[in-house]
Amino acid sequence: MMESKQIKIFHGPQHPGITGNMSVELDLIGETIQRARTHVGYLHRGFEKLVERRTVLQAFTIVCRICVPEPDPNEENFARAVEGLAGITISERAQYIRVMVQEMSRLAAQLLWMGGQSGSIGLGTVGQWSLYDRDLILDLFEQLTGGRVYHMYTFPGGVRRDLPAGFLLRLSELLDYLDKQLPRYDKIFFDNATFRTRAIGTGVIDSDTALERGYVGQALRGCGIERDLRRDNPYLVYDRLAFDIPTFDGGDVYSRALVRREEMRQSIRILRQVIAQMPEEGLVMQKLPKHRKFTLPKDDIYVATESARGEFGYYMAGDGSAHIRRMQVKGPSLIHGFTLLEPLLEGEELSNVALIMNSLGICPPEIER
Amino acid sequence: MTFTPIDLRGIVAPFAAIGKALEHPRTVCYPAQTKTVAPDYRGFHTNDLSACIGCANCQDVCMNDAIDMVTIAQERNTRNKSGCIPRIDYGRCCWCNLCVDVCPPDSLGLGQECIHVAERSDTFLFFPKDAS
Amino acid sequence: MNALTTRYDVTEKNPRLFSIEVDTRDAWREAIDFVTTHTAFVTLSQITCADWIEEEVFRLTYLFTDRARSQNLMVQLPIRRDGEGLPSLSNRFPQAEVMERDLHEMYGIPFEGNDTLYPFVLEGWTDLPPLRREFDTLAYVHAHYDFQQGREDNKDVKVEQKRRREEAKRLKAEQEEASHDGE
Repeated sequence: MMESKQIKIFHGPQHPGITGNMSVELDLIGETIQRARTHVGYLHRGFEKLVERRTVLQAFTIVCRICVPEPDPNEENFARAVEGLAGITISERAQYIRVMVQEMSRLAAQLLWMGGQSGSIGLGTVGQWSLYDRDLILDLFEQLTGGRVYHMYTFPGGVRRDLPAGFLLRLSELLDYLDKQLPRYDKIFFDNATFRTRAIGTGVIDSDTALERGYVGQALRGCGIERDLRRDNPYLVYDRLAFDIPTFDGGDVYSRALVRREEMRQSIRILRQVIAQMPEEGLVMQKLPKHRKFTLPKDDIYVATESARGEFGYYMAGDGSAHIRRMQVKGPSLIHGFTLLEPLLEGEELSNVALIMNSLGICPPEIER
Repeated sequence: MTFTPIDLRGIVAPFAAIGKALEHPRTVCYPAQTKTVAPDYRGFHTNDLSACIGCANCQDVCMNDAIDMVTIAQERNTRNKSGCIPRIDYGRCCWCNLCVDVCPPDSLGLGQECIHVAERSDTFLFFPKDAS
Repeated sequence: MNALTTRYDVTEKNPRLFSIEVDTRDAWREAIDFVTTHTAFVTLSQITCADWIEEEVFRLTYLFTDRARSQNLMVQLPIRRDGEGLPSLSNRFPQAEVMERDLHEMYGIPFEGNDTLYPFVLEGWTDLPPLRREFDTLAYVHAHYDFQQGREDNKDVKVEQKRRREEAKRLKAEQEEASHDGE
């Protein structure tokens, strides 16, 4: 065997296959990775500190910026943490609207993921289709909230606006369209021989330690472990909605992709139930005091939402003033990007780095906050 | 990495993408054709100067300190006790709509316009368009 | 859960969130041992620190999640703010390594036995650890960045209202005087 030299390269932050602004330092012999180290710090915006400087109600405009692909779990967490500390209950209609926002955001995030995952192995067509479909969801968000990406809609006490006229009808039409569209993605992406060849058996997660190490979302469900906060630790009105939790046993990139494929169908199913069950009447926003008079008691709370990539949690502590004492974001990426990704990449080939990172849904803003 | 020798379906199925070529293109030919924005879109600010009372509630709630209260050139509302109207620094604004929510006479709003092109950054100081 | 309530004073924050409070390092070590071996809370999900500067403590929260992912338990411990450390949990929980590294950078808490405490997000940072309460973001911004020019004509509305009220009063008085003179 020829003696080979070890070389070190930085995969990212400018690499198109990397998920956001982070980099992985790789030691390679030939094409094989000997050691991988994650580096972050290219996107630190200091959210947790900024939140402390603002009053509680002002701070809500910051949290959605923690994650671009799906800002709504952040808003939901923030709103639910403030409501839990301040003791606010919200109306049933507001809860249904929030579930609807969560599921629309999940669909949009899965479609965006599909573009990234297919792009990481050079299937550009899939991304062009799926981003168009995501844009149709963003159009609906624009009508509902006034913003396309950062909605700033889920507010402590409910949601900020009632539904515009005819919104549920347009949503229902979009779901019919997506129903027709999803089988086409099966043909060009999930059944695609290129993807199957690359993804099956790549990036296999050890299912024995998955729970103890705190992996969440598709990383668990792709190893056959059925965990979903919407059922296990239900919030809003998820306990009144019927949905399945898809699991696949492979533990590899392909299993995680199939989990996401099924989850899109389950999101559509949930949205159809929301449309059918949503109460006609109800106050969508509770009356709140002025922002300098809105205080949180000296107490702390942890809330979590199932985002499109797994458990997204907020720890929040109040101190009796109109400011938040401490808010910490617990995204799926902190554990996935370090504890999971580094060992997973060892022994893999260089070309699989982007593939594995995308399938774990690593997003640096929630590592750096 | 396992290679399945004959994954016939996987090889043939992606050719379904060719069917897309027969569909009507969905791109918007800008600028000949522009996309309409939703009625409740959060674009640039508008201010009904005949209703604005210059109370600075919007300045107080703004979490980015983006709003200045400046003296109005020509008085439009006799109930405006301070003679000031808001001016917004679009380098800091995040279009969160909080200023609109707290406006007591509902004079401030977010309009549909959303494109601003200029060579110099000091044009970011923006007087809301008069909506009256 | 039963094992926990017999041994510790458990506060129920809501039906799925509990917390126990310990006050010494030994009690903390014992509580972590007990929680992870005798109860269902096996996953370390998060380590949080909150700075209570008026009480001179950092309140650390170790958040544990149970096997069914349906309940959470917070183990809380105050430590002194002046550089008191804690033993690292990275031997038992690999995910603790990066969480401790994060807290070390943002608060300056040394975790004994964690050898990855080199810069994490803030490379080349020489100032105070930024999430400590005494770090003033506004002062930092004033020292390092310029503000947008042309915003100096901002008026304080309260002052302006008062000034205009007085001016109106003065004008009225002058007018009255003028009308008296006319008579």
